[in-house]
Amino acid sequence: MAELKLTAVSKSFNTQAGVITALSCVDLTIKEGEFLCVVGPSGCGKSTLLNLIAGLEFPDQGRLLLDDSEITGPAADRVLIFQEPALFPWLSVIDNVAFGLKMQGGAKQHRTARAMELLDLVHLSAFRSSWIHQLSGGMRQRVALARALALEPAVLLMDEPFAALDAQTRDMLHEELEMLWQKTGKTIVFITHNVREAVRLGTRVLLMSADSGKFVKEYPINLPRNRHLEDVELVKIASVIRDDLKEVVATASGRKGCPNG
Amino acid sequence: MAKRGNPAISRAHALPSYSRKNSSRVQTIGIRLLFFTFLFILWQTLFALKIWNEMLFPGPLEVITTAVAVLQDGSMATAVLASLKRLITGYGISVAVGIPLGLIMGRNRLIDETFGTLALGLQALPSICWLPLAILWFGLNEIAICFVVIMGSVMAISLAVRDGVRGLSPLLLRAARVLGADGASFYIHVLFPAALPSVVTGARLGWSFAWRSLMAAELLYGTVGLGSTLSMGRELHDMGLVVATMLIIIAIGLIADRLLFGGMDTLIRARWGTER
Ligand SMILES: Nc1ncnc2c1ncn2[C@@H]1O[C@H](COP(=O)(O)OP(=O)(O)OP(=O)(O)O)[C@@H](O)[C@H]1O
Ligand SMILES: [Mg+2]
Repeated sequence: MAELKLTAVSKSFNTQAGVITALSCVDLTIKEGEFLCVVGPSGCGKSTLLNLIAGLEFPDQGRLLLDDSEITGPAADRVLIFQEPALFPWLSVIDNVAFGLKMQGGAKQHRTARAMELLDLVHLSAFRSSWIHQLSGGMRQRVALARALALEPAVLLMDEPFAALDAQTRDMLHEELEMLWQKTGKTIVFITHNVREAVRLGTRVLLMSADSGKFVKEYPINLPRNRHLEDVELVKIASVIRDDLKEVVATASGRKGCPNG
Repeated sequence: MAKRGNPAISRAHALPSYSRKNSSRVQTIGIRLLFFTFLFILWQTLFALKIWNEMLFPGPLEVITTAVAVLQDGSMATAVLASLKRLITGYGISVAVGIPLGLIMGRNRLIDETFGTLALGLQALPSICWLPLAILWFGLNEIAICFVVIMGSVMAISLAVRDGVRGLSPLLLRAARVLGADGASFYIHVLFPAALPSVVTGARLGWSFAWRSLMAAELLYGTVGLGSTLSMGRELHDMGLVVATMLIIIAIGLIADRLLFGGMDTLIRARWGTER
């Protein structure tokens, strides 16, 4: 089981510009095996949401539960992938992939074997002993994906992982991710600015607003898989979401808070 | 796409700039060789003109003869070994203390505001100024000299490492935490290797500071060593010995720098992909 449950989660930051409320009273349940995509205007708190689930930050109020146990810090059952690959330049490709296993104290032989499997999965076994700076951007993001998968997390958290890639590479990675999700049935929380990407991948899309610091709309996506970015139905749904997104950006009033406590 | 080996490097071989780089290296070596030959000839000419007293301005031949003599009778070897022993002890302690201290200062605000500020302040003091205090504390002995060497290098090392840690990408550190690095293993497997370029810079700087501090201490406090060989040369009015010792000090400094840090430079350039 891997069910994520957020109840009345609030998070704000003290900055030079004053107190910024990123999330206020967010309630959210993510079911096991769900592929949840989150879209929303820049600065609305999407990354904050993932950081909280990853255990890198802590909520001011509210609770985050994974299968009824409180999230108290980073752990191997929830791995976060960033927009930048954030690979370790001092390690070779294969050692990067095996890094998490090393932290867990796994035997060297097992680590290497597992890392090779994952490099195969992302079609990079030929580059196992390369250094990071020798890879292209898309290759790096695939290594980051393999590195996260090595820990066999129940929940995969992805923060705009493909935003910096070209369209062809992104298409390819969509397919790889789709395959992986179908094969492993992992719970995935995927953040993106690209509405079509969200509809292409998600079983559900959530729209977040900067204004209220919470989710304002929900779209179940029941299109048959595998989808393509150009599918007519997909494009239709995406344009509806995009219009809502525009509205959310336009009607910012600046009030955030929990309804009656 | 290359199946085996390193694709980026094999591609670099094919580029014309590679051979151009190679020929320009030959050129620089040639220029250097010419320059130093010129210096040597200038030295010999000035000596032959007898402008200055021979006692104050030895000729190259005299220096070389003295150098060969002291190298052969073993007195130079004894001095070099004695100095190197002190240097390695003092510098070793500096590295062992300075690197962990720098890593912690880079991460912990409280430690940085206390120890970091102290290190910054003490760095303003030329390390040889510690000698009187060290002699009072430890007596006129090896420990006093080692202390001066340590005070000369430990601050530079830890401050360079601290700056390196501060400059690390926060994203990289977050990624490491997400993947389960925490506590001691975060320091050993993430912070230290991530800061390696600065660690090497700091260690290198510390090495040259340690070398200088040692020479200063040995000049002031006569015991077997390169510094005291220098003062002995002065006392005996043996300018050949003075200049020969100076040249040997330069040679040791350069060779040690190459041996200790040349390999690290290559390793860092290969992994980080930084060009120089
Ligand atoms: N560590 C922090 N310190 C101060 N403020 C922060 C911090 N992290 C986030 N914020 C603020 O919280 C708000 C939400 O940030 P967040 O990064 O979650 O937005 P986002 O939805 O991911 O935006 P984007 O789509 O541009 O990535 C922003 O206004 C941001 O300025
Ligand atoms: Mg973000």
